[in-house]
Amino acid sequence: MPLRSTEHGWGALVRAFHWVIAVLIVAQGVIGLSMVQMGLTPAKVRVFALHKSIGMTILALVLLRIAWRLTEKRPADPPAMPRWQRRAAHALHLALYALILALPLSGWWFNSASNAPLVWFGWFDIPGLTGGYDPVWKPRALLLHQTLFWVLVALLVGHVGAALWHHFSARDDVLRRMTIGPRKQNGGVP
Amino acid sequence: MKCLGGLCVAMLLGVAAPALAQTWQVDAARSTLTFTNTYQNVEYTGQFRRFDAKIIYDPNDLAHAKFDVSVDIASLDTRNSERDHTALGADFFDASKFPKAHFVTTAFRKGADGKVIADGVLTLRGVSKPVALTVTFAPQGDAAILDVTAPLKRLDFGIGAGQWADPSMIGDGVIVRGHLLLRKANPQGGS
Repeated sequence: MPLRSTEHGWGALVRAFHWVIAVLIVAQGVIGLSMVQMGLTPAKVRVFALHKSIGMTILALVLLRIAWRLTEKRPADPPAMPRWQRRAAHALHLALYALILALPLSGWWFNSASNAPLVWFGWFDIPGLTGGYDPVWKPRALLLHQTLFWVLVALLVGHVGAALWHHFSARDDVLRRMTIGPRKQNGGVP
Repeated sequence: MKCLGGLCVAMLLGVAAPALAQTWQVDAARSTLTFTNTYQNVEYTGQFRRFDAKIIYDPNDLAHAKFDVSVDIASLDTRNSERDHTALGADFFDASKFPKAHFVTTAFRKGADGKVIADGVLTLRGVSKPVALTVTFAPQGDAAILDVTAPLKRLDFGIGAGQWADPSMIGDGVIVRGHLLLRKANPQGGS
């Protein structure tokens, strides 16, 4: 598997970015939805700290992923895809990039406005974005963080649904080239 | 001078008291009572916005000096509303049961480095413990700045005991700092 993407498939680095970030996002969703239900105990504080650390990790990985993507060309869309599908797919991917950047940023913003600590896996202190406690922006940042989460869930339903549709219905290489690699070097024409 | 009973005593005290000790009024709007502690190993600063301090102090007459400070626990502010809410609850300050903290000096002395130490008793969350304040006093005419600092241990007073005792979550050590702007209560008669 080549490190860089080719016209026919995604490189190893892009696939690694995709799946590591995907796993972290699912974990963040589960942790985030669970932690707000917890009673106030030291365990809750630790789970919040974990959520923040994972979120900052995702932010860093997404920035690296975008930087890497800017250096290489994306594989060609399957020729069978109509124009509207290509546009919809590219728009959805762009929206997903925007959301996976905006979610950790809004969480970081909320944390900063709450004047809560942010120590990356107990290792080092990450400064706030607001210059301390900000009771005006704090509820807005939280509302944004929660709203963006549900928008992301909706888009991910579309993303996963489209990947499965490509694989099982269109029978092209779109899912395959992000996982085990393309079947044949023709861009996925069945 | 003729004097009768209590009146005579009052006159004597009236003359004697200013010479023995200086009573100060605290400029509450410009004075602060702050503390630093750590949360998840990150230092933060909080303050008690309402406190009442009775200060009698003359650096040349430590024998008659006295600090008597009462703190309104509910006025806690650490610039984090969740933390403040939690801190006032039963696991921590338990402000509804113990609405006031009280510190009163028992004696003043000079420390080894020449600094003034005020020994006293702090009553916090129903626990009374000896606490020593380091005193810095800067007179400026009829006014003065009084800075005091004291290291405490929150667990000595049962603040966040039990499940919250872990110092990597909330540090045990707390540095308390008082910064008081004083004005002479009796500027004409002051020493």
